[in-house]
Amino acid sequence: MLDSKIKTKIAKQLEGIVGAQYITTQETDTVLNAHDAWPLSEAKIRAGEMLPLADIVVFPGSTEEVSEVLKIANKNKVPVTPVGGGAGTCGGTLPIYGGMQLDLKRMDKVLDIDHKSMLVRVEAGMVGIDLEEEVNRHGYMLGHTPTSMRASNVGGFLATRSGGSMSSLYGKIEDLTLGLEVVLADGSIVRTKAVPRHSVGPDLRELFIGSEGTLGVITEATLRLFPIPEERRFRSMAFVDVHSGLEAIRRIFRVGIVPSVVRFYDPEDTAMAMSQHFDVKEGDSMLLLAFDGAAEKVDHEERVSVEICKENGGKDFGDGPAKRWWAHRYDMYYPTKFTTAGFSIGDTIDIVATYDKLENVYRAMKTAMEAHEAFVMSHFSHMYQNGGSIYMIFFTSQPDAETAWATYRKIWDDGVAACLREGGTMSHQHGVGLSRSTYTEDELGSSFQVLKKIKDVLDPNGIMNPGKLGLGVQQ
Amino acid sequence: MIYDEDTAQQIRMCAACPKMCRHVCPTFLAWRSESPTPHGRALLLHQEIIGTRQLDDRAIDVLYQCLECSHCLTWCLPEIDIADIVETRRRQLVEEGRFPSGLNNMVDSIRTHHNPYKEPHEKRTSWLKIPKNDGRSLIYFTGCTAAYRENSIAQDAVSVLSSLGYQVGIPKDEWCCGSPLLRTGFVEDALEQARYNVEILNSMDAEEIVVTCPGCYRVLTQDYPKYGLEINKPVRHIAELLQSHLKSLPEFEIDGPVTFHDSCHLGRHSGVYEQPREVIERVSKGALVEMERNRDNAMCCGNGAGLRTLFPEHAKKIGAERVRQAERTGAKYLVTSCPFCKNMLESQAKDRLIVLDLPELVEMAKKRSHVKTD
Ligand SMILES: Cc1cc2nc3c(=O)[nH]c(=O)nc-3n(C[C@H](O)[C@H](O)[C@H](O)COP(=O)(O)OP(=O)(O)OC[C@H]3O[C@@H](n4cnc5c(N)ncnc54)[C@H](O)[C@@H]3O)c2cc1C
Ligand code: SF4
Ligand code: SF4
Repeated sequence: MLDSKIKTKIAKQLEGIVGAQYITTQETDTVLNAHDAWPLSEAKIRAGEMLPLADIVVFPGSTEEVSEVLKIANKNKVPVTPVGGGAGTCGGTLPIYGGMQLDLKRMDKVLDIDHKSMLVRVEAGMVGIDLEEEVNRHGYMLGHTPTSMRASNVGGFLATRSGGSMSSLYGKIEDLTLGLEVVLADGSIVRTKAVPRHSVGPDLRELFIGSEGTLGVITEATLRLFPIPEERRFRSMAFVDVHSGLEAIRRIFRVGIVPSVVRFYDPEDTAMAMSQHFDVKEGDSMLLLAFDGAAEKVDHEERVSVEICKENGGKDFGDGPAKRWWAHRYDMYYPTKFTTAGFSIGDTIDIVATYDKLENVYRAMKTAMEAHEAFVMSHFSHMYQNGGSIYMIFFTSQPDAETAWATYRKIWDDGVAACLREGGTMSHQHGVGLSRSTYTEDELGSSFQVLKKIKDVLDPNGIMNPGKLGLGVQQ
Repeated sequence: MIYDEDTAQQIRMCAACPKMCRHVCPTFLAWRSESPTPHGRALLLHQEIIGTRQLDDRAIDVLYQCLECSHCLTWCLPEIDIADIVETRRRQLVEEGRFPSGLNNMVDSIRTHHNPYKEPHEKRTSWLKIPKNDGRSLIYFTGCTAAYRENSIAQDAVSVLSSLGYQVGIPKDEWCCGSPLLRTGFVEDALEQARYNVEILNSMDAEEIVVTCPGCYRVLTQDYPKYGLEINKPVRHIAELLQSHLKSLPEFEIDGPVTFHDSCHLGRHSGVYEQPREVIERVSKGALVEMERNRDNAMCCGNGAGLRTLFPEHAKKIGAERVRQAERTGAKYLVTSCPFCKNMLESQAKDRLIVLDLPELVEMAKKRSHVKTD
């Protein structure tokens, strides 16, 4: 927390930059802006605990204002936590060392649509769904479909290196981004050119994608656009076990077919998500597919995929389950009486691995997590030619807060340890934030030192989102 | 605790929601901050309920920044109505004397003049010209906005009703329906207005009552009965009444598309969506074009539940956004079915759209058509 004199002084200076109505030191505002959608924060809120608060929340309206704000923070060595949509799942926006939260929500404009190159230049604070609807009006789509579309914004998508449910076909946020504008800790404004690719040294754009506010503040991005596909067709197949379903997926990619959606639910998740609505045999695993594009292309992809699934024992469920998932894909994120009762807590460890390790990672993590009496259900959600991700979802209910938070931590510790042991990577899309911060060094191994050195150079005072991404932990 | 167990549980759930409806909350759009949001409001109340943190003045502001539009409810799977939850707490805040002082003028004005605009009570409806007619008798409860700010709505409503053969009666001494008071938590003051109105309306001889203001409509049909005040005649909104005479309504060649703005009180709070649309389709000969956000997903105009009184600049920002949404349809006319919405939308549309209330559109059709009405 800042000393009250310094706080008043800095607040005054910030007022001069952004205007009095765009900065607040009111406790109510700091309480409401503190948290993202980290399940541990949500559970603590329900339990009546206070979360760490910022001293000041500032809402700059332009890149220049962001730059001026950072200069002041840097000069005074005040921690800065960037805030996007505040719907990250890892505690990334929690201002654990107090200081300032720099909220980008006012920077919410589309700056330009380049129809010829199919690109949109947009400010970082634009909420995903608002951007999607705007480009839809011009006949395009973003191709980025995370289920946090309604709350997360462009800066958050980039800062966490997010991936949407159609990432197999359209790509993850790093594939969808051509250019970036970033403000560094010292206030300097950096732009990477928006070109399809280049060979002028390493791609520095990538340095900031996934940096979670620890290396700078993303203020603007140039994103790719896709024409809205002529057709999107859904298909669903049930398999007797996880292994045969994974084999089918692997082969589909191997013959060169890239569905837009590939989601494969293990028996527990199938029971939870499907069996209420469809007559699925107990113990079966459901694969959901979607194919996007012109009718002929879709016909071909669907036909070949169905053949491959059947060769692997797949039972055809038509378009029903996949279509229903698409229509209801946001539903599972709403609070329910069950998931919010007492000291219940759940979370998702969204790991990624290559095909040779994927099944082992899945089984090892499931065993490790279930050892803490957690209910674990999973789906393989973002699949590619060489492997894919697993949503390892867990849920536990405990008699008191202390036991609940401790159990939660143990499930995480052992789940991540099992993942790393079997050769997986601990996050595909949610990022690190606070929930995985302490595992970062183990995960990155020798490359962690490179990241650390970059951090030290770009942010020598360690003001940028300290404590996240395994970086800048203050004593 | 002012909330029952079920509501407290809902508040607790919402306090831990990953903001699934925030994108439609107009006050999130106006402030671009996490504070004036459905989840934010619930979080403050949850902390108060379980004793983590009491409401401070800023928290009270956040509760009074809510439009009570219930747009969040449309997007809430567990069906948590923040508008109702907020209004419950506002009632208590008024009892505690902890409401924003910016409301004092409005409250005093209704107490003294029976309207929120500080206008002389005797001029409320004295200017209205009522044609003689010996058809079915009907009482037109004008409401404050049509009486003082949107006179042409009241006059055109009377004219259209007369053309349909009604003998229109205006209460000699109608008071504010109490909507602005109820929505901001001043129940006792509202009930004083309400009791008076019920007495006047019940003493009049007529088959039914018609209103042009959805705020009045909701209060007369839902709030009055909730407080044990029964009106002894059916109450209809003019959209419903006009729809019941669809075939008798005039038609005309309108010179551009018409889009319709659903008011929150008539739409989400009363479920009247189709009737005004049918009326527009009839009189404009099918010129209706929908905004992307319509019916139970319609955005509030920004005027509701005291927001314009307390935070006029933010209210206008919301109105301006709704006008942009209307412009996107390519419409020339923006029609609504609420004098209060019309007032806000017209102020923001400037000359980019022609903003009309439903009776004004029908009156326009009447004047420009050659079809005889019965
Ligand atoms: C219901 C729900 C569904 C989800 N589904 C998906 C999904 O399908 N795919 C997926 O990938 N993720 C998903 N997520 C996780 C999360 O929403 C995303 O990772 C998202 O990208 C976070 O964006 P945000 O704007 O909410 O970021 P925030 O929570 O505001 O911030 C996240 C982190 O990024 C930093 N940050 C934010 N903006 C900037 C900026 N402009 N510059 C620098 N740093 C910044 C913050 O400091 C923080 O560390 C989901 C989350 C929820 C709640
Ligand atoms: S109103 Fe419903 S959807 Fe909105 S934040 Fe609360 S619980 Fe979530
Ligand atoms: S009622 Fe309207 S203004 Fe209030 S929280 Fe819900 S959407 Fe926002």
